[in-house]
Amino acid sequence: MNLTPPSEHDIHAYVDGHLDDPRRGEVERYLSRHAEQADEVHGWRQDAQQLRALLAGDLAPAPALDPSRVRERARRRRFVRLGMAAGIVLCLFVGGIAGWAARGIGSGDAPMADAMQAYRLLALDHGVGMDITTGNENDLRAWLSGRVGQDVRLPDLADAGFRPIGGRLFATNEGPAAMVLYDDGSGHTVSFYVRPPGPARRFLPRGAREDDGLLANYWSEGGHNYAVVAVADAAGRQAADRVTGKAI
Amino acid sequence: MPTPNIDDDLRTMLPRLRRFALWLARDSHAADDLVQSTIERALSRWKTRREEDSLRAWLFSILYRLFLDGKRRASRYALLIGSLAEDEPTWPSAERVAMAHSTLAAFAALPPEQRSLLIWISVEGLSYQEVADILDVPIGTVMSRLSRARRALRQLGEGDPQSPSLRLLK
Repeated sequence: MNLTPPSEHDIHAYVDGHLDDPRRGEVERYLSRHAEQADEVHGWRQDAQQLRALLAGDLAPAPALDPSRVRERARRRRFVRLGMAAGIVLCLFVGGIAGWAARGIGSGDAPMADAMQAYRLLALDHGVGMDITTGNENDLRAWLSGRVGQDVRLPDLADAGFRPIGGRLFATNEGPAAMVLYDDGSGHTVSFYVRPPGPARRFLPRGAREDDGLLANYWSEGGHNYAVVAVADAAGRQAADRVTGKAI
Repeated sequence: MPTPNIDDDLRTMLPRLRRFALWLARDSHAADDLVQSTIERALSRWKTRREEDSLRAWLFSILYRLFLDGKRRASRYALLIGSLAEDEPTWPSAERVAMAHSTLAAFAALPPEQRSLLIWISVEGLSYQEVADILDVPIGTVMSRLSRARRALRQLGEGDPQSPSLRLLK
């Protein structure tokens, strides 16, 4: 009787005990006539039994791996991650608000606030504490170009009745600033203030504002920031208009 | 609410998962990490599980994938730092004692896929079809790989002189 060799599948199924009786009988009959293969298959069977026995030992309990604990840990981690994300969003939000609120800091809260401070410092005392006291426009022009910039034009307000009486230098965060003070001989003063835009290159659109009784007109031109400051009364307005009208 | 049932189902599978992970990773800490990741993934993907699949095969398959992913990452890292030397597995003392047994020592020396095959089929009693699904290969391939695994275990267990080269091949 010549038996066909069992398939690989049947051999393994025999080892693993998955075969029904008739087929198990067939495999056994075949193996009884093929000693070498029978040895191998019986060895496999023995190995499988041994593995089952050897690996069956109990492991030390691991309460940390209990599904409820794993679930709890995962939830907490998600929560922490969510918290971190919320924190980052909050930081960006607060930073953005603060940055927006602080956008003026470093160059004065309002445009050319330093020009108004300079006017308050000197003009109201009518020129006490000037660096240079002269009515000579050529001297003043030379003084300005040496200290603030070559291309700074000094306005001529003679036809409005204002004559320069002197100038003063100021150190500002943006660089050296100069103020030239004009006087109309009847107690009114107008200041002409010029300084560099500073490292932030903050140039100004033409504008005007009033603050605490003073009027400032300001603009940028030729790489400098300018301001004309006067007392906010009729004479001051008129003089300031004259200067800005000329400077355009 | 199905949550308590899920936890109970997973809980009954824990010893099997831990045993498989331990013999796959051959390191008790790595094994516990594997099991924890497996539970996490099972919890988050519970709804995607097909009802007709056995929970056991599904969990084994998740764990096996996680193990392979980790191994790939580790070998990329090893390449990166210029070292391909594989760390000696760190056995808990109980297993070290058991390793005195030649069959167990041979089993531990098999490549991961052969270890997995033998655990799934010989120890856990998964069907060949379930193993084919886990490995994503035809059932005939499972059969031939199983033959190779059983022969390798035999040879190593009997102290066959071929065993050193077999170890190098893995």
